[in-house]
Amino acid sequence: MNIETGIFTPPFDPVVQALGTDPVPAGPYYREDWFELEREAVFRRSWLNIGHIAELPNAGDYIVRELEILGASIIIARGRDGTLRAFHNVCPHRGTQLVDGQGGQASRFSCRYHMWTFGLDGALISAPDFERFYADKADCGLKMVPVGDVGGLIYVNLDRGPITPLRAWIGEELCTQMDSTVVARATHYSEYVYEIGANWKLTYDNFQENYHLRFIHPKSGLAGLGKDNPFGYPVRYGFHGIHRTQTIWSNPEPQITPTQALTFGRAMQMAIEDGVDFGDNTKQYFALFPSLFLFASAIQPFSHMVYPISATRSRGVIRLYWVGADDSASKRFAREYMMATTRDIHSEDRIVIEAGQRGLSSGALSHIHFQEQEVLCRHLMHAVAAKVSAYQAEAGQ
Amino acid sequence: MSLLPEQFTALSPFVERWAVNGSAARANLRGSSSATEREAYYNAMMPLAAQALDYLDSRNWGQYEAAEDRLMAMLLSFAHVSIAVEIQKEDEANHAIARAFMPITHAPADEVFDERP
Repeated sequence: MNIETGIFTPPFDPVVQALGTDPVPAGPYYREDWFELEREAVFRRSWLNIGHIAELPNAGDYIVRELEILGASIIIARGRDGTLRAFHNVCPHRGTQLVDGQGGQASRFSCRYHMWTFGLDGALISAPDFERFYADKADCGLKMVPVGDVGGLIYVNLDRGPITPLRAWIGEELCTQMDSTVVARATHYSEYVYEIGANWKLTYDNFQENYHLRFIHPKSGLAGLGKDNPFGYPVRYGFHGIHRTQTIWSNPEPQITPTQALTFGRAMQMAIEDGVDFGDNTKQYFALFPSLFLFASAIQPFSHMVYPISATRSRGVIRLYWVGADDSASKRFAREYMMATTRDIHSEDRIVIEAGQRGLSSGALSHIHFQEQEVLCRHLMHAVAAKVSAYQAEAGQ
Repeated sequence: MSLLPEQFTALSPFVERWAVNGSAARANLRGSSSATEREAYYNAMMPLAAQALDYLDSRNWGQYEAAEDRLMAMLLSFAHVSIAVEIQKEDEANHAIARAFMPITHAPADEVFDERP
């Protein structure tokens, strides 16, 4: 026996038992045929986080985002009426990609090929010699993509069929909680990104369990561990349909370095000034299907989106959110320090996840094992498998 | 004209190396510097860091003089260096290799001056 659970009692949730205890097939973590199913069953049919409203505060602001798994490039623009709209980055004339770069300010979008020009609402404004086409201008606008925002985060949906509205898809309970976090009011952000040689689920799962903290983050991750709770069990799991949450445990007696002492005090003061609600939401990890995390802590609120590229390759985007521009030396210093701290932790994860992928891709294992605390990983796999089964049934496969 | 505000001239030998603009550049400098350099800088800056922040907080944001801008940039470099010295310690060299795969692509501190009210 090697039980070492301290005096903290891990939470009991009947869903944990209901999800079962069997080993989980390893194939979905590397097989290309499974990934092809996920492309349509999961990513085509889900709302996908693609940005934050702080990126488009003014009319004419736009961003361009690539969704590699769906082969799509998406423009999101704020119109003169203040409305966010999303379009395929594709000229409807002959398919030319309309906009290069990652975004900016524009009053219209013009295709370089034949100068078809579109408004911020996607409508075709003008096209040279259009009289000799065999189409109506009204039918030649940019192809719209459903877009919405909850809690400050922007989502798009590339499903070709009927779409569940964003708030219903997330669920009103989680929407209300996310609307109340500091991320919903953020106006600025810090960002770091990574590419990883690993399946999106393997990548994402790393951040759904705290079992690895003491081994992979023995120096940087100590705030979530302690002698009372050496494996960092959460205080609570939450299961919300295909989404899930956990309330993390915090060490009541963390060891603080001199610079942390200098920074945390100033950061907490700023959080108070920013009106941060220090309630349960600041300890809650939101895990939104398929691959978004939101952790709206009081002084390090961040999102983490994992974008699949192939069966064994993914891209991660991590952002920390801030209310208001830097307006003092202490604020600028605290934000820089907080970003550097989370980046230290995340970069430790990336290496061990790739090592996991190499093992899985070897085909040595038919199954992997999820422990009780890894129930959120199990829950994701259940949700993915259910989506794939439904898709296969629909497609008659 | 002095490189740094008068009360912080003891830090002048570190200006050339550590007064760097841009969050990604500062993170890279942490990774490419030697342990000896980082420790020397940390030891010089740590006793003055709180005082330096308080001093800059007392000045009008957006109207810093060049010497004050340098002090701000040095504090931001210190934010990165302190993590290497206080937390990663002997693991820092290996940790830098891991961090290199996670580039910083956007930070409020990159919006130098133009966003100040």
